[in-house]
Amino acid sequence: MTKLKQLGYLLFGIAIASAPFSSKAQNYIASNIQANLFSSTPVEDIKAQSNKTNGVIVSKTGEVAFQIPIKSFEFGKKLMQEHFNENYLESDKYPVATFKGNIEPNINWAKDGEYTVNVKGTLTVHGESKARTIAGKITLKNGKASVYTSFDVACADHNIEIPTLVFTKIAKVINVKISGTLSPKN
Amino acid sequence: MMKIATIITLSVLVTSLAQAQSADSLMKTLTDTARIRSVNPTFKSTHIVLSHSTETQKKHDLDLRIRHHFGDIGGEFGSAHTLYGLDVATDLFIGLDYGITDKLTVSIGRSKHDELFNGYLKYKLIEQGGGKNGNMPLNITVLGQMGWIARQPFTTTEFATYANRFSYFLQPIFSRKFSQRLSLQVAPAVLFRKNVVDVRDPDNLLSIGFAGRFKLSKRLSFIADYTLINGLNRPTDLPQQFYNPLGVGLEIETGGHVFSLNFMNSEYIAENSFVADTQKSWKHGGVRFGFTISRNFTLFKSKNKDIQTKIY
Repeated sequence: MTKLKQLGYLLFGIAIASAPFSSKAQNYIASNIQANLFSSTPVEDIKAQSNKTNGVIVSKTGEVAFQIPIKSFEFGKKLMQEHFNENYLESDKYPVATFKGNIEPNINWAKDGEYTVNVKGTLTVHGESKARTIAGKITLKNGKASVYTSFDVACADHNIEIPTLVFTKIAKVINVKISGTLSPKN
Repeated sequence: MMKIATIITLSVLVTSLAQAQSADSLMKTLTDTARIRSVNPTFKSTHIVLSHSTETQKKHDLDLRIRHHFGDIGGEFGSAHTLYGLDVATDLFIGLDYGITDKLTVSIGRSKHDELFNGYLKYKLIEQGGGKNGNMPLNITVLGQMGWIARQPFTTTEFATYANRFSYFLQPIFSRKFSQRLSLQVAPAVLFRKNVVDVRDPDNLLSIGFAGRFKLSKRLSFIADYTLINGLNRPTDLPQQFYNPLGVGLEIETGGHVFSLNFMNSEYIAENSFVADTQKSWKHGGVRFGFTISRNFTLFKSKNKDIQTKIY
């Protein structure tokens, strides 16, 4: 065995051994993030909730992605839930709503604390994508990342039609709240 | 030397791969929530025109259903003298359907014809898109409906034994939502009855129902159903001519209410009556107008404050 060859194997070994360390920056995931919808008009307030949202954060790059299964939203009235799925969100065709973006500027993930962040990215609801910058809060504690955000979604932005017959009951702008705790994952 | 170069390249590659984990690849490690639960409902309501659909009531939802069949549009009993049947009500029906669970519905109802009281149990066995892998191709619902004729007998012998007032309608219902617009249904059935006029008319009457929905828009659908009876086990040469019921209609949904405006040849509304006794034909003016109004009420509010609805 030549010295060069030995050197080669050594390099290879170092590369493999160091691979986990080179991505030392933590990633965070969760599949039970809570999402709340709130529609308010002078006639009726409607609320819905899901706790099946998937979320991931790549701390190194500040990349963020969330995916909400539309059919997981629960309404107090089951018939309303059916209309939400069939008539408005068309969940057979568009089963999920997603948000993908980057935390700008990225935060210091090594230090515990509460960070107010702006996430610049794309919100896709009902198959329609829209560039959005969404403000939120990330709290780092004991190696976990808690997220919270509240933002508005205009039905018209995502091609969701509300017929005039029921427009008094359903708001043109729906408030969305997302909250949950993401656990570290390499 | 080449080998070494390869090894070095490989080692660089391994290091960079480890760093390239993106949000997308991380998301893939989570369960794919895009494939959650069954497809959206195959039919808008628990009934189509005349027949039942595979749908059941939602849990704790009460459906008040009012149905009306008018008189013959044409022929001997129709035309301008009865305002094309609108002066006549061949049958009226008021019923309440209640969802004990999302799968099990109980109901009571009362028809004008025969002063028929009916009660049914309907259970959804299989839901399209359900099952372990979410690949169930069909909806299967079973229906058992009892009818009790409460009117006075027309002849002294008519209800010689009290049991003759009862009839039982059993029906497995199979349906499939083929696309967002098109749903089709097949439902074989047997009606057990005693008050049969002609001895050659079978007590255990077989039938096969065919039904469909075509959505014209999100809230408006064309619906139709046809029940094949003659020629199965009922002779076609009975002195009293019976016809196969055919109903067509427009179904309009307004959130909470479902209206349907129908045309059909059957005079009666409950299965126990119209399967056995349809004596009018689409020919010769025997067709009539009818409507259904269905209004759903949620009886028990969810205790979860985050999903409660508040009406001002």
